[in-house]
Amino acid sequence: MLKKIALEKLGDLVSALMEKGPLYAPVKGEKAVDFQEITNPADVILDFYNTAMSPKFAFFPQSEDLIRYRLGKEATESEAVSLDAKPSVILGVRPCDAKSFEIMDRHFLGAGIIDPYWNDKREKTTIIGYAFDPSTAADPADFYNTLGISASDTAGSDIFMIRTDKHLLFKGITEKGDRLLKELSVLEAGSKTDEKTFEDKAKKGGEVKTRFMEIQDKAVAGKLVQVFNNKEFWEKATAACISCGACTFVCPTCYCFDISDETLFRDGVRKRFWDACMFTDFTLEASGHNPRPRIFQRYRQKVCHKYSYHVDKYGCISCVGCGRCTRSCPVNIDIYSIIESASKL
Amino acid sequence: MQNPYIPMPVEVTKIVTEVETNDIKTFRLNFVNKEDEENFKYLPGQFAELSILGKGESPIGIASSPTQPGYIEFTVQRAGTLVTGIVTTALHDLDVGARIGVRGPLGNSWPIEFLEGKNVVVVGGGFAFTTLRSLIHYMLHKDNRPRFGDISVVYGARTPGLLCYKEELAAWEKRKDIKMHVTVDKGDANWKGREGFVPTVCKEVGPSPENAVTVICGPPIMIRFTLPVFFELGFAKENILTSLEMRMKCGVGKCGRCNVGHKYVCKDGPVFSFAELDKLPRDF
Ligand SMILES: Cc1cc2nc3c(=O)[nH]c(=O)nc-3n(C[C@H](O)[C@H](O)[C@H](O)COP(=O)(O)OP(=O)(O)OC[C@H]3O[C@@H](n4cnc5c(N)ncnc54)[C@H](O)[C@@H]3O)c2cc1C
Ligand code: SF4
Ligand code: SF4
Ligand code: FES
Repeated sequence: MLKKIALEKLGDLVSALMEKGPLYAPVKGEKAVDFQEITNPADVILDFYNTAMSPKFAFFPQSEDLIRYRLGKEATESEAVSLDAKPSVILGVRPCDAKSFEIMDRHFLGAGIIDPYWNDKREKTTIIGYAFDPSTAADPADFYNTLGISASDTAGSDIFMIRTDKHLLFKGITEKGDRLLKELSVLEAGSKTDEKTFEDKAKKGGEVKTRFMEIQDKAVAGKLVQVFNNKEFWEKATAACISCGACTFVCPTCYCFDISDETLFRDGVRKRFWDACMFTDFTLEASGHNPRPRIFQRYRQKVCHKYSYHVDKYGCISCVGCGRCTRSCPVNIDIYSIIESASKL
Repeated sequence: MQNPYIPMPVEVTKIVTEVETNDIKTFRLNFVNKEDEENFKYLPGQFAELSILGKGESPIGIASSPTQPGYIEFTVQRAGTLVTGIVTTALHDLDVGARIGVRGPLGNSWPIEFLEGKNVVVVGGGFAFTTLRSLIHYMLHKDNRPRFGDISVVYGARTPGLLCYKEELAAWEKRKDIKMHVTVDKGDANWKGREGFVPTVCKEVGPSPENAVTVICGPPIMIRFTLPVFFELGFAKENILTSLEMRMKCGVGKCGRCNVGHKYVCKDGPVFSFAELDKLPRDF
C-alpha cells in the first residue's frame, strides 16, 4: 500500500499520529537531534542526518522500574510494575537503526526466555522508517553498506517513508504498517506515478556509498577468535580508550544492563538500566577477582561480542554500521578500522 | 507466563551457621505459595537469585537436593574482602521467619544422564561444596543410587572448623555406598581425620579413569592444582566437570554480564566440562 502527504502538511500527520498514542520523532535539541516523545507537532523535524542516540530506548529505556516497594520494619510490601505499554509510533527511523531492532529481537525474544519488557513495547510499536537522503553524502563514520544495509533499506520498518520535493511517500511493509496507513485519513492514496517515484528513489538510495569492506559473518567471527590472544594488537588498537562507555550507550545494538535497588527513605524501586562492558566494575566479583581489569580486555570483549560471539550465538553480526560509536568517541576509536586491521592479521 | 525478573516469596525457616568463623550460613527457605513450590523443579548444580528488596540480588547455588521436597537450601558466604558484600551481608543478618525472594531455578545442572552408569568422583574445597552436596544427596537417594556406579568424595577445608555440613559428612562416612575422604590442610587437637591438600589427597586416592567422571568445585587455586592430578590419572577433559563463577545480574541470559565467549555462564552454564572450556577464550 502506498500513501502520501504534502510536505507542508507534516504537522497534520504528526497530530493524527499523536491521537493514536505516544509518538516518538526526531527533535532538534541544544546539541543534537534526538528522538523525543512529541508534545508539540511543530517540534518534529525531518531535516537531519541521524539522531545522536539510537532509537533503542523505545523498547529498552535507559532506566526501567521492575518492582516498587515500601520498606517496612518487618515485611516489605512490593508490587511488580505492570507491563502496559501504550500502542505507539516511532517516526523517522533510519534504515540501519530499523535493522538493529531485528538484531535485538534475536537476543530479547528469539533465544531462551522472552524478555517481557522488550516484548511488551516492541509488539505495540509501529516503526516508520525513513530513507537517508540520496542527494547527501553518507557521514564518513557510517559503514552500514558493509553490513549489507542500503540508504533506503526497508527491512525492520513497518512503514517506509521517502521524501520527494513536494511529498512524503509512505509504503506499508508489514501488516502492522498497512493497518496504520489505512487508519490515517490525513494521508492521500498514492498514484501509479507515486509508486514509480518511490521505486526510483529507493533505487537511488542503493547508490549512496558508505565505507565498505567485504565481510562475511562466519569468517570475521573465526578471525577474531584467532586474534583474541594477540595482546599487542588489542593494546595498540585501544591505547587511547578511556573506557567511558559512550560508544555503548549510543549504540543501537548494545543491550547490557544492570539490575539494582534504589531506596529513598522508605520508598524503593528495583530497576534495570543500561550498563556497559566498557566499565571497570562490570565483571568485578565480590571476591575482588575481575576477569577483565584492563581496558584492552574490555574493548576486545565489545568487539568480539559484536563480530564473533553474536555470530556464533544468534547467527548474525550485532552491528549495523550506524557510525555512532565513532562519532561519539572522545578519542576517535573506530570499530570499522579495528575490524579492518584485525581481518588483515 | 511468570515474569522471570520477579522473585517468588519465600520464608526463612532454618539457619545453620556452618563454620567457626561464622561467615558461612545455610538458609532453609520455604515457598509462601504452594504453586511456586510446585513450579520450582530443579536438578543439582543449578542456582537461583536470592533477592532482598532494598539490597539487591545474588546468584547462589542450590545446596539442597530435589530429593528433599518441601524446601530449598542455600549456603552463603558473607562476601567481600575490601568492602562488605551488600546482599550476602543482608542475608546473614536475617532471622528465622524473615521473608525474602527467590528467582529460579537458573542455569544448567550437573549432567545427571551423563553421570548415570559411571563412577563419580566428587572433589570439593571450602564452601564451594554447596552444589556438590546437592549432587551427593541426589545420588544417594534410594531411588537414584542404583543408577550410579561407585561414588567417592574428596572434600577439604583449611581447618576442621571450616568444614561445612559436618553432620552429613559424619553420616556419609558411615555408609557403605559412598567412599568419603575428608581432609583439612591443618588439623587441631581434636582432629582424627586426614591432613593434606585436596590435590595431594586426590593423588593418594588415585581414582581410576575407567568409566569415571569427576566433578570439581573449589577455589581457583585448588582447581589449578587438582586438574593436573586428574590428567595424570588419565581422565579425559570431557570427563572433568566444574562450575564456573562470573559476576551475574539477570541470571537468564539477557543482561550480557556473564559471558565467556559466546556462552552465558548463567544460562549455558554454570556447569562446563574442561573440554568445553578449552574451546572458549581465556576470559574468566
Ligand atoms: C553460579 C554461581 C553460584 C554461586 N553460588 C554461591 C554459593 O553457593 N554461596 C555463596 O556464598 N556464593 C555463591 N556465589 C557467589 C555470590 O553470588 C557472590 O558472592 C555474591 O553475589 C556477592 O554479593 P554481595 O551483594 O554480597 O556482594 P557485592 O560485592 O555487594 O556485589 C554486588 C552484586 O554484584 C553481583 N556479584 C558480585 N560478586 C559476584 C560473584 N562472585 N558472582 C556473581 N555475582 C556477583 C551480585 O549481583 C551482587 O549482588 C555464586 C556465584 C555464581 C555466579
Ligand atoms: S567511546 Fe571511545 S573512549 Fe569511550 S569507551 Fe568507547 S572506545 Fe573507549
Ligand atoms: S558498534 Fe558502532 S557502528 Fe555498530 S551499531 Fe553500534 S554504534 Fe553503530
Ligand atoms: S547474568 Fe545476565 S546474562 Fe548472565
